[in-house]
Amino acid sequence: MFRIIKKSLKIGVVTGQYQKGEPAAVPVVPEVKKKAGLFKRSFAIREVDTGSCNACEMEMNALMNPVYDAEQFGIHIAASPRHADALIVTGPVTVNMERALKDAHKQTPDPKLVIALGDCAIHCGMFKGCYAVTGPVERHIPVDVRIPGCPPRPADILEALSELRNGRP
Amino acid sequence: MPEARLCDDVLKVAFPAIRQNAPVCAKSSHFVVPKDLLPAITHYLHTQPNFRGRLTLLWACDHRPVRDTYGLYYLFTLEGSHHWVMLSTELIGNDRLFPSITPHIHAAHWYEREIRDMFGLIPQGHPDLRRLVRHEHWPKGMHPLRKDFPWDRVLGRQQGEHHFRHIEGEGVFIVPVGPIHAGIIESGHFRFSVAGEPIMQLELRHFWKHRGVEKLFEQQTLIDALPLAERVSGDTTVGHGLAYCQAVETLLHLEVPRRATYLRTLFLELERLSNHLGDIGAMCNDTAYALAHAHCGRMKERIMQLNDRLTGSRFLRGAIRVGGVTRDIDNGRLTEIVEELNRIQLDFSEVGAIIFANASLTDRLETTGILHERTAWDHAVMGVVGRASGMDCDLRRDRPFAAYDALPVNVALYRYGDVRARLRVRGDEIHESIRLIRELRGKIPDGPIANEPSRSPDPGDWTLSAVEGWRGEILYMVMAGEGGRIHRCKVRDPSFVNWPAIQWAVLGNIIPDFPLINKSFNLSYAGNDL
Ligand code: SF4
Repeated sequence: MFRIIKKSLKIGVVTGQYQKGEPAAVPVVPEVKKKAGLFKRSFAIREVDTGSCNACEMEMNALMNPVYDAEQFGIHIAASPRHADALIVTGPVTVNMERALKDAHKQTPDPKLVIALGDCAIHCGMFKGCYAVTGPVERHIPVDVRIPGCPPRPADILEALSELRNGRP
Repeated sequence: MPEARLCDDVLKVAFPAIRQNAPVCAKSSHFVVPKDLLPAITHYLHTQPNFRGRLTLLWACDHRPVRDTYGLYYLFTLEGSHHWVMLSTELIGNDRLFPSITPHIHAAHWYEREIRDMFGLIPQGHPDLRRLVRHEHWPKGMHPLRKDFPWDRVLGRQQGEHHFRHIEGEGVFIVPVGPIHAGIIESGHFRFSVAGEPIMQLELRHFWKHRGVEKLFEQQTLIDALPLAERVSGDTTVGHGLAYCQAVETLLHLEVPRRATYLRTLFLELERLSNHLGDIGAMCNDTAYALAHAHCGRMKERIMQLNDRLTGSRFLRGAIRVGGVTRDIDNGRLTEIVEELNRIQLDFSEVGAIIFANASLTDRLETTGILHERTAWDHAVMGVVGRASGMDCDLRRDRPFAAYDALPVNVALYRYGDVRARLRVRGDEIHESIRLIRELRGKIPDGPIANEPSRSPDPGDWTLSAVEGWRGEILYMVMAGEGGRIHRCKVRDPSFVNWPAIQWAVLGNIIPDFPLINKSFNLSYAGNDL
């Protein structure tokens, strides 16, 4: 027990020890901001992977580590789309995941936001046109926010979420 | 190597009908085998005590338009000498049938189903011919890797349902999980059959994320396809990038400067460090031990930020290029890296002491998800998972690439095969990686960091390359086509081999332990599904 406390004291607070992100590359339109305003200070996200290379997932995971600690801003990961305010979709939509994505979207209660994370989700990136890819996320469900990058840095994701939620990351 | 020549002679005596070809890469032999002899010779290679060949890779290739044949290639690694023995055979004209070797070499199970889906060649005698990559809604007759299948074809949809294996009886429940999971993880489907608490059967259903990577390679030139290789599995950017580059360099007869090989080694070890740190934290998290998760996440983040400062990418994307590396890291910088890693090592040792002193954690990890040595061997499991189950294999030591010929690696090896063993392998490898980087700092020579490719490969040339990524053996087979393009690129992430083994590791465990066991394997869905 003593050892654990000693370790924690030695390390101190690491939250915020990162280089600040770039301001959101794709501005968020006012209607979407209004929709996001409904969720106030608690924002539950469901992540749906429709064929990413998993680097985008890793950066989402990094968002939850003590350095970025997105939980402090009221952002948390919901275990089911039914508990979510927003879907974050990564990856081009593959033929095999198309149905699952549409199902998850249908199961998410209104009002809801859809965030396309990473170049693949926005325009299929280098998988564009392939037989196994059916197109970017917006071909299947309406997308509200786009966060470009391959993958976007966690700091940039936080910036984008902050712009979406009017200064609240 | 006299030993290797001896093996070749033994094979030729035992099977006079086979013909030896020139090897395609170092430390390997290549035989052309008549199709009907395949089961006998593979069985011989696999079971003879002085061979004990482990099926390492099995792939097919459509040789059209040059020749109207399909080639089938079987690669075995001999235990002991780590020599590669490759067998190949050809299906000529309209022949679409080949004998399945799965009945006596279990590791061929998924490979043969994959070949059937991608090429429409039928493994005769295969015990399970359900679709693997092509989900049931794909229309009939779609075999994407055939040369007459356009890469941008629109697939269409048909009705169809996958038939899972069934266990019936009183009190047996089926629990389907996925493809979308509760955490931030990739997509895959797991179907459990349980009676009461213990798992009686687990069946995997993967390939949700199939993006057609191998077909996309064929649309690119050898030099330009590197970014695609880096995106096969994002967490193994360097491993896949390096394996691809090595194959292309062999085809182009391009020498990599010595300094560049050291820097490549550095990148590969940094990738191993960040992933292992993350995994240890995530495994602890799945036992609800949030403290260890927080500490490990913090240390992992330090390495990701270090990567970013070094190369401008947190995943070291674009750090490697064909012919060398893209940017030099001067010796002052290297010293800074070593100092930072020394601090992280001290930090990790302290956290490790806390983790391993925790009795309730040990209780969760020990004897959970045991993968027996025999099962591991039957599935040809390797990498971290293999080394926790007594499979003594590590390409860094067995078939040195990059600068590992000058940097001997101590391979971590455990035999229990439980979650704790997999945790310990990772812990040991973290210390070993940091030691390697320290040693590398002392030995790195000065000099150029890249050579320019000067010639183009001859169409039809092909080669294999292998890299020990942080998960295990990454293999690339690259065959050159016309005008510097790629004719065929077979990608094999270690996940493809290790996934089926998880179905055996979970038996008898309870479902709440499944996330923990899955995390201890931590396999890539993207690298598996391609
Ligand atoms: S955007 Fe880049 S990092 Fe994200 S899934 Fe696509 S290839 Fe991977």
